[in-house]
Amino acid sequence: MELYYILALPPIFAMVAASNVLSLSVLHWADRLTACAVFGCILSLGAHFVPAEPLRLNYFMVDAFSLWMLFIIGLLYMAFAWTSKAYLERDTNIRYGYLRRFTHLEGRFYALSHLFVWTMMLVVTVDSLGLMWVTIEATTLVSALLVAFKFTRTSLEAAWKYVMVCTVGICLALLGTIIVYYGQLQALGDTAPLNWEFLSEHAVMLDPDVAKMAFCFLFVGYGTKIGLAPMHAWLPDAHSEAPALTSGLLSGALCICALYVLLRATAVLMPAVGIDFISNMYIYFGLFTIALAVPFVVVQRDVKRMLAYSSMENFGLLAAGFGLFMPLAAEASLLHMFNHALVKYMLFYTAGTIMETYATKNMMRIHGMMQQAPRTAMFWLLGIVGILGMPPMGVFFSKFFIIASFFENNHPYLGIMALLFLAGMLFGILYHAMRMLGGRPSRKSAGELLGRLDMTVLIIMLAGSGLISAFAYEIPYVGTILTAAAQIVLGGVH
Amino acid sequence: MEYIVVLLLFVVVMQTRVMELRRSVVCLMIQSGLIASACIVVGLNHGLWHALVPCLLTIGVKVIFIPGTMLRLIDKITDDREIFSNINVNYATLAAAAFLVLGYILAGRFMLAPIARDIFAATIMMIMTGLALMVMRRRAILQMCGLITLENGIYLLGLIITQGLPLVVELGVFLDVLIAVVVLVILTNRMSLSFMTTDTTVMKKLKG
Repeated sequence: MELYYILALPPIFAMVAASNVLSLSVLHWADRLTACAVFGCILSLGAHFVPAEPLRLNYFMVDAFSLWMLFIIGLLYMAFAWTSKAYLERDTNIRYGYLRRFTHLEGRFYALSHLFVWTMMLVVTVDSLGLMWVTIEATTLVSALLVAFKFTRTSLEAAWKYVMVCTVGICLALLGTIIVYYGQLQALGDTAPLNWEFLSEHAVMLDPDVAKMAFCFLFVGYGTKIGLAPMHAWLPDAHSEAPALTSGLLSGALCICALYVLLRATAVLMPAVGIDFISNMYIYFGLFTIALAVPFVVVQRDVKRMLAYSSMENFGLLAAGFGLFMPLAAEASLLHMFNHALVKYMLFYTAGTIMETYATKNMMRIHGMMQQAPRTAMFWLLGIVGILGMPPMGVFFSKFFIIASFFENNHPYLGIMALLFLAGMLFGILYHAMRMLGGRPSRKSAGELLGRLDMTVLIIMLAGSGLISAFAYEIPYVGTILTAAAQIVLGGVH
Repeated sequence: MEYIVVLLLFVVVMQTRVMELRRSVVCLMIQSGLIASACIVVGLNHGLWHALVPCLLTIGVKVIFIPGTMLRLIDKITDDREIFSNINVNYATLAAAAFLVLGYILAGRFMLAPIARDIFAATIMMIMTGLALMVMRRRAILQMCGLITLENGIYLLGLIITQGLPLVVELGVFLDVLIAVVVLVILTNRMSLSFMTTDTTVMKKLKG
């Protein structure tokens, strides 16, 4: 029953918002209420959820892995709803907002954002590989309009590149899905076409050659959407040109949704293809992505582009972590998805605030934030420390266990390599962040823009990520769901 | 079926030579019409219902709606330099020929029956030519034509090796293609407003 509410409320709100009948303050409150209701439904779905008995409705299936993803998306949905009012008010502010020349864009922005979140929730709840493909493509299309939302020249360029690159990538994934279906027809007949549960139970019977070809197409296709190098061309552009809230959702939720679909497909194809090939693909593409992101961060000038490359680093680490195919690494990677989503959303939001404070995206022109906007500066520092994985923050635990499992899994050299890349990342990001924080102010600022509500949301996100990852196994439900989800990811190899 | 494949190959090769936007869209329309008739021919072996739904959807979405929207978009573009250009098109044609050979080589690898081999080679050629068109053409609308060609190729491949995807998935795929074209048309429209052209090479600001 909760699932119906979860999937029905966002589109209903989107339709209401798009029709522009509500006044602005009612719209903001309706937005918050929708998100709270959806998140409450997700929590109550999780409260009486037994990992051994996934929830099945026609065309929908919710197991532990889906539930974990729903939890992450729901949290970001809440964060979005409670920060959107402040963000939109700043963006349309007469003095410094860059949407100031337009009016009545709020309804459209809300409609698109809620539809975007809705398509992501569909991705993680549908039960067949074909429908997963359909919904992933739908996320691209909805978010393309959000990326182009400002309709400046650069945002148009980013959106065009985004649609073109991702659609081609996703078309390859469609080819992969068709090949999986072909393999299923040959080996199993046409009962339960492309159904994930059915396929993963009978995965051994698929033909190895067909499965391998399908895996390659699916990996390249969904890899484009995750942002794995060398298919990442769209990622920094789209993340840097979108409105800050959208960047947060893109980075925090969308890319891991694509990773989710890829992992589901992998669980189906693994017994037929064999673990070595798949594991190598994941690990080397992941490490290559981290390696490629480092130099771009070091020479970066655009603050949101820097965060986008940092996201690429994290997706690379996630891919490599899942690629190890051992319980510790899988659980740590699942936790890392959660931590990265919260911290990166918070960072993108703060970066958006900084851009409005200084009316520039160029980090080289921003100095002395500590003096001019101390609260923004503090949150920026906390977020940066958080994403780099320093001890009290949540990312520390997940990164630590991913790296540790490299050494446990007899890949010590790869582990050392990953550590070196992460050190490069740390150097690059800290260098830029410290330059922004310290020094003498050289530019007029709009003053302190973070309000009380924003700060509360940001603090809750940071603290929540830290607490949940530190005590994941002490908190009831979270630990069991994590373990069950990791088992689903690992598929045949427990 | 053989006649359809030959006509399809002819249309795709034509498409590599056409630089005029309207004619290119008409080519796309004919190509999708051929795909729709292939739907009927393949589907009739598996019952009328399974043949009719995808066929009607193809006609509705890819033959009528998509080219219609694109033609209306072209009407809005008034700049003459948009409509005529003198880029050498021979490379694309040559590439299409090479892709056809590649398709037959691949088909030989998989040891298919003769008729299936022809169709398989044609689909490989369509997919690769669509990709090549997207990379080689500069104008937004021609790139969109390339994208639809690629999509048609994948669709035809699915049609011959699996007799079509499950119906729900197929409906979703059509919906996605529909929305994709709407989104691309919106973006192209804005592009011609803010850049005064739909030549995508003007967009090169985002790097590094």
